[in-house]
Amino acid sequence: MFEALGSKLLAGVVSLSMLLFSTYTGNDPKLSGIRHTSSDSYIHLEANLISAFENDFPSIFTSGTTIPVQYQLTFKSGNRTVINRTYTNSVTFDPGKGTYEIRRAGTADAFFTRSYEEMLAVVSLFKVSVPYQVAWGTVHVKLESSLPTVSFAQVDKAVDLMILWKYKKPSAKTQIDLRKIF
Amino acid sequence: MLKFGLRSRMILLFILVSLGSLMILNNVFQAQQQNIHNAMENLELSSQLRDIQLLTHEDSLRAETIMRDFNGAKAAVNISLTQSRMISGVVLLLVIVASSAVFVIVLSRINKPLTEMKRATEQIRQGNFSVHLPETGIPEMRELKNSFNVMSRELESVQTRLLAAEKEMIWKDLSRILAHEIKNPLTPIQLAIQRLEERLGSDPEHAKDILPESIAIITQEIENLRLLAQDFSSFAKITQPSIEKFDPTTSIREIIKSYTADYAIHTDLAESTLISFDRTHFYQIVTNILQNAIDASEADRPIWIKLFKERSFVVISIRDEGSGIEPQDLHRIFEPYFSRKSKGTGLGLALVKKLCDSNSAIIRVKSKPMEGSEFTVIIENQAV
Repeated sequence: MFEALGSKLLAGVVSLSMLLFSTYTGNDPKLSGIRHTSSDSYIHLEANLISAFENDFPSIFTSGTTIPVQYQLTFKSGNRTVINRTYTNSVTFDPGKGTYEIRRAGTADAFFTRSYEEMLAVVSLFKVSVPYQVAWGTVHVKLESSLPTVSFAQVDKAVDLMILWKYKKPSAKTQIDLRKIF
Repeated sequence: MLKFGLRSRMILLFILVSLGSLMILNNVFQAQQQNIHNAMENLELSSQLRDIQLLTHEDSLRAETIMRDFNGAKAAVNISLTQSRMISGVVLLLVIVASSAVFVIVLSRINKPLTEMKRATEQIRQGNFSVHLPETGIPEMRELKNSFNVMSRELESVQTRLLAAEKEMIWKDLSRILAHEIKNPLTPIQLAIQRLEERLGSDPEHAKDILPESIAIITQEIENLRLLAQDFSSFAKITQPSIEKFDPTTSIREIIKSYTADYAIHTDLAESTLISFDRTHFYQIVTNILQNAIDASEADRPIWIKLFKERSFVVISIRDEGSGIEPQDLHRIFEPYFSRKSKGTGLGLALVKKLCDSNSAIIRVKSKPMEGSEFTVIIENQAV
């Protein structure tokens, strides 16, 4: 609870100071609403990151270092947390070939493209299938996205990429009655 | 129009000088950072290297390594630039918040005691010398408050001494006047009784011849003593006015009835006037002023009583052609016990002034020595 409060406070201070005293615009990431379907014993979830990589990211994605984008998924039934998993989409640029290799969460495949826009579209898409139990009843679903700390080998420096999101973690919530979707 | 006190000026100065300088510095820094960032964005190596036709596989590998290193370094530098811009903004915000908080705290430590002192000074101005300030706060304020407390204690002490001296003076004056006024009637009483005693002793047959005269003298002086007591009593207990509406012209005509036989009283009294006044107080005011005029004038000199309307007021004027009042005494004639007459308590006009005040009327006097005096009473006209 204190961690969440602390992160909100940090995000607030950073936003205010950048609004008042900095020319740096940064990014204001948001998550679209969570879309869900079901089949067999799986519930399929989809969401998109919006306006997350508009400023300063081209040089980050083309650095050659693997850049992960994390998605934290939580299912709560009443007060009980029934699912708490982290999924990661990652991007690695090959400067020799000029291609982006994207690995999507929940799949073993890699997707390759030379197009920066296409790469962004794929890495911004959250698409997973999760097994569920009808006994959970109505669940509160929360999806939160974040960026980790990465190390740039060339300069031996670890950097918290959340700085590019002004330390704000975009999130989306929804409620699903598992008894009705079956 | 906005008024800027000391506190407002200090705050404004603080904002303009210190915070303004910080913000200018920050803006310059941010601009420099943006320039570096723009320069970095324009650096592009990978696409250029990829376009070069390389001869060997080792060359390709080396080129790939160069591109990877360059891109990684460029990304790291961009991130560092972003971090430094963000940190400078956050640090500036925190510096502003912290310095403003310190400033407000210091200012309030100065402002609070100044406000306390202002209130205490106001109380002293209203005559309350018992106010004392708690000697707390920064050393300079403690010293200032200590000086203030010493001053107020001295003022309190002086006030107490002055009040005691004034009381003593009043008692002395009162005792002097009482002694004088009581002695005056006692002397003729004593003389009359002594004469009777002597006559009874020497010629008892004819003692009853002087008895009526002696009785008359004694009765008259007892009456004078009674009037003296009444004067003091009236002045001491002035009752709350019992206001009623009445025609002052009618009242004045009733008052002067008993005087017109012996004195030359001339009247010019307007009709159809109405005042809200205590009838008894009105009677006492007019009687006292009239008696003063009679005492100041010779027997055949006229006394003028005029009543007229002026704007929304009723004005009553009593003028005599008597001895008048010396200019240096004019401002004192309404003081208790002040009198230039050979007899009297000096309470008559003081009583008149008190009665006028309690009925919201104004009394004025004009006088010239050897020409006479004019007393004017101004009362609100209720017939308007």
